[in-house]
This record gives sequence, C-alpha cells and structure tokens, in this order.
Amino acid sequence: MNTWRSILLVAGRDFRERVSSRAFQMSTAITLLFVVGWIVVPAIFFDDEPEAWRIGVVGQEPAGLTTAVETAAGHQATVETVAYDSRADAETAIEDGEVEVAIDSSGTILVDNGISDQMQAAVITGLATIEIADRADELGIEVTEIAELFTGGYEVQSVAPPGAADSESNRVFAFFVTVILFMSIVTYGSWILIGVIEEKTNRVVEVVLGTLRPHHLLAGKVIGIGVLGIAQILLIGVVAMILLPLQDAFDVPSAAGSVLAWAFVWYLLGFAFYAVAYAAAGSLVSRQEEAQNAAFPLTMMLMAAYFVATFSITGENPVLMIASLLPMFAPMTMPLRIAGADAKAWELALSLLLMVISIYGLVRFAGRVYAGGLLQGAGRVKWKEAFRASETEK
Amino acid sequence: MLEVENLHKRYGDVVALDGCSFQVKQGQLLGFLGPNGSGKTTTMRTVFSLVRPDEGAVRWNGNPIGATTRLRFGYMPEQRGLYPRMKVVSQLVYFGRLHGMSKTEATTAAGQWLERLGLDDRAGSRLEQLSHGNQQRIQLAAALIHDPELLILDEPFSGLDPIGVEDMIAVLVERTERGAAVVFSSHQLDLVEDLCEDVVIIAAGKVVLSGPIRELRARSSHRYLEIEVATRRSDLAGAFPGYEVVTSNNGRVRLRVDDNTPLEPLIRTAAELGRVRQFSYAPPNLSEVFREVVAQ
Repeated sequence: MNTWRSILLVAGRDFRERVSSRAFQMSTAITLLFVVGWIVVPAIFFDDEPEAWRIGVVGQEPAGLTTAVETAAGHQATVETVAYDSRADAETAIEDGEVEVAIDSSGTILVDNGISDQMQAAVITGLATIEIADRADELGIEVTEIAELFTGGYEVQSVAPPGAADSESNRVFAFFVTVILFMSIVTYGSWILIGVIEEKTNRVVEVVLGTLRPHHLLAGKVIGIGVLGIAQILLIGVVAMILLPLQDAFDVPSAAGSVLAWAFVWYLLGFAFYAVAYAAAGSLVSRQEEAQNAAFPLTMMLMAAYFVATFSITGENPVLMIASLLPMFAPMTMPLRIAGADAKAWELALSLLLMVISIYGLVRFAGRVYAGGLLQGAGRVKWKEAFRASETEK
Repeated sequence: MLEVENLHKRYGDVVALDGCSFQVKQGQLLGFLGPNGSGKTTTMRTVFSLVRPDEGAVRWNGNPIGATTRLRFGYMPEQRGLYPRMKVVSQLVYFGRLHGMSKTEATTAAGQWLERLGLDDRAGSRLEQLSHGNQQRIQLAAALIHDPELLILDEPFSGLDPIGVEDMIAVLVERTERGAAVVFSSHQLDLVEDLCEDVVIIAAGKVVLSGPIRELRARSSHRYLEIEVATRRSDLAGAFPGYEVVTSNNGRVRLRVDDNTPLEPLIRTAAELGRVRQFSYAPPNLSEVFREVVAQ
C-alpha cells in the first residue's frame, strides 16, 4: 500500500474518532464558553462610557474650563461645573460628595482624600492650558504658535525603515503565538501520548502493524491529531476575533504580514517536532499511569523554551540567540527574533535547516522506537532497548 | 503456499526459534501446536514482519513476502485488540481499508460479515457495548474482511463458549474450502484432532513432529488399551501387573504398551476379572502423541 494512503487512512481515523467523541466536543464547547465569557462579560459590566466629573467653581469660572479639562483628561471624562457663592459652600459640597473638586478663583484647588490622581492632574493641566493661552494672547502670540513653542520648532522624523517601527507590537504578537504554541503542544501532545498508549493497551497495534510500517502509523497519528488541534484553535481564534471588537480596551496584537507568516511556519514546525517526540515517548510505556513519566523530559524542554521566550520578550539577548538555533527551542524563540528584526538571514536559514533535519531524523528514530516499544510487553521500555528491539524498520 | 524455512531468533540469551520449518498449502487447514513458550507466536509474527528472524526466511508462493503481499493475509493475534470506542461497522471498514480495499468494497464486505454473524443491528454500536462473545466475532470478521489468501490465527478458540467454538470452526472450514491456507495454534488438542488433517508440533523453537494426524498417531511406538470389565472391584490399577497404567476408575483401565506387545495374555487377564464390556486397542490420540514428543 502506498505511503500516503496508509498515513491518510490512519490520520482520518484518528481525526474522525476524536471529533465524534463526547470528550472532545465537551472540551471544545467549554473552551468556547470560556472565551465568550472572557470577552463578553467585561464588555457588559465594565462599559467604557466616559466618567462624569463635577467641578465646583467659586467666583468667576475661567473661560473654556470644561473643554480644557476634558482635553487634559484625554476625553475619558465629561465635565460639568457647579457654581458656589463661597469657599465654605464649596467645601461642604465636596464633603457631601456633590462635587469631587472645586476651584476657588482666588487661586486654590479644593480636594479631599477621595480624589483620583488622574482627575487632579487633569484639572491642574486644564487650568494651566487656559493660563498659558491667556498669557500668550497678552504677548500677542497666536494660539497655533503655542504648540511650536513647546517643541522648540523641531519636528521628530524617524529614519527607521517602514515596518521596523512596529517591532514592539510584532514582538508582542510573536510572543502571543509562542503562548498558543506552548498551550497546543501541551494539550495535543498529551492527546497523542494517550492515543499511542491506548492503541498499545488495546493490543490493536499488532494487527495494524501487520499492514503498514510503524512510521506510517506514527505520522498518521501526528497528522490526524495535529490537524484536529489546529482546527480547534482556529475555531476558538475566529470566535475570539469576531467578539473582541465588543471590548474596546483590548488591543488585538497586530503584526506585519511576514511576521505572521513566519510565526505560522514555526508553529507548524514546532508542533510537528514535539508531536513526533510525544508519540515516541508514548510507545515506551504500556499503561496510562506511566504516561507523564515518559513525557517528563519533553515537558522540561518545552518549559525551558517557554521561559527563554518569556524573559526575552523585551528584546535580543545571547541566550535567545543561541536558543533560536536549537531545534527544541527554535519554534518558541525564533519568531520573537524575526518580529524584532534581530534574526540575520543565515541564522534563520541555519535554524530552519536544523529544524527540518531534526524532524525527519526524529520521525525515523521515533519510528524505530515506536516499532520496538509497541510490541514489547508490559512495563516501561528504555529508549535504547526499544531502538534495538525494533524489528520491522529497515 | 506458505513456506517457513529454518527460522532462528534469539532475544539475548533466550532462544525463541531454533530452526523452525514447515509449509501450508492453499486449501489446507494446519494445526500449529506446541507448549507455552515454544515459539508459536514468534513464528506467526515473523510472517507479518513484526519479528525479523536472525536467520531463515518466510516465502509465499516461492517469493519473499513484501508489504503488498502481506495485505492479502489475515492475522488474529493471541492478545485480541480492536478500538473499544469505535463503532463496529467503522472498525470493520477501517481494517478492510488497511488491507487495501476501497471504501465501497470495505463497506459492502463489512455489511455482509455483520449480517452473517447476526450482528447487523449492532453495526452502529461501540465495540465496548457488545458482549465478550460478540466482540470475539467482530475480531474474527476484522481478520477476514478482505478475504485473505492466508489466514493465521493465534489461539482462536481461547475464551470462546461452545457456540462460539462452533461458529469459529464453521468459518475456518469454510475459508479452507474456498482455497485459503489456514494456520491456527491451539491447546485444545481434541478439537484440533477433530478439525484438521495435518499438524505441526513445535518445542523449544524447533519442529519436532509434523504431518497428517492419522500417520503421526500410527507412527508412534506405543499403543493404548482401553479395558472395561463388569466387576465389583472398581480399581483395576493393580489387576494388570507389569503393564503401564495411564488411568483407572470405575472398572475401566487405560494401559500403555509397546506396539509389538502380544494381546492374548491381557485378554485372558481381563476375562478372569469378570465379563469384559470393552476391549479396545488403538494408537495414541493427538494429546498423547503431543505429550510423548514434547516430553522428549
């Protein structure tokens, strides 16, 4: 039977059986509910309506006070003024909570302990703006010239190539992808692990291996579960993207097209690398209870890669540079360097080459371990023994 | 024809196969016998390339067995295994397709098998929802779905109830009559004796006896005497001094003698004890042949 037919047959079975399983449907539904809740609930309860500020004024209200304070507050608040006859009335009003702050035209701003820093700063800035405009007017300076005065007449011009200006948001995006990769490897890696052990415990593997090569079975399993995992992530991602605009405060990480494309490539490579490794680990044990032990070295590697990525989100460093060349760490670290425009072309090429070679090598190696491990009886098999015991692989 | 030729296999210090050779023709039903640990399963796995022999070869119709040839074989391992949560019909279709059938062919064949096994109303059930006996039937159907030219079954009768055994026998006989080469291992030697004409007996990784059961029995240098006498003396063990007693109870005794032993003195001794109800003289049955040859 030809290679791809075998692989797709296995992949199709694993995909269909899992999609139709109650456990998968429940976990997808729960994750979706969680995502929907996470986005929709804050949008309902924490609306972004501007706050209403009430400012007391004793004596003459400075012209344009409302607009000046609103501008100083970044239009996050609407301002209403209340006139008081005396400073004592204003103080009482603050104590009673009728207004948050009061301006005495004699030159005092009355507050109590409850005032927010933001409001206090906005009121002071607003008053200052009015004062500056008044003085400038007296000096015969046009309002439009005031802005020039603050910059000394200089204009800021960026010499960075277009695109690089976004490296901060690109890096945030790349990190976001790293987090998703980490979570999907942990989740779907354990599905693969369990799937392999299940086939072994059921002994069904002996019949299956009578009809196809071990590395076909391995590749089919990885592809079937991998496609399912990516489909589940896409579904959750699409739902999140549709709902996110409800939440104004959340910035969807935006990224340049090339960063996005590279992130996707590294996602697939990283997934393939770890999925194959998990399958090989699964073939070494024969009971579900031993699954976590078998996967322990992989989990450690994964954690290490994740920590390097976390500590490197601010930018380039030597550890990140070295990690981005090593296949077990590259999928989680290289996208960060690409996003920061730190990766040189040769580094990228070398890293990709090592990655592809090691995935191929791992498939062959895991195929042998798989063949050796699958037909061993009970108990835990060592990597070396399984490799030697392999019979079908030539 | 399946030719197993001079297979050797060692696992560390353990010798699993030590020059195992035999043949099975199309249309032949062969019983493959041997004590536990004698190498039966290793031999069967070699045919499916699950074990690579250190020496020797397995051939089908004179050619080495490649991946494509192997798809025309059917295998039922000793440790049964299917996917417990998969639907019965999907399971059969999957195994059909693994053996190279198209989806349509496999679906048709799965339907026919389920109907034949009387399980067509359970097609949509998960395997784990079926009774133990019905799961065994599905296992057999999974091995036969692609109408294999060679069928290898490791202990197909173990764990079956009498009705299951009958069904299994019917299927094996039918496959053989339709021209398949069928090899099965079993410890139920009475059943093997009824079912097959030919057996291969293996011990310590080597074939110690093979051929038609009738010849193997006749070739033995021993004969068995079954004597029943109407007497008040229920234990006849001591009544035939100088002869080897195999069993004795309720006025019946079974003796083992050399094939050239004269029978007249025995007939006389029996007649002196009382009225002789039965006096039979026969070569050993398969069980006895097995024990004689394996004990050596």
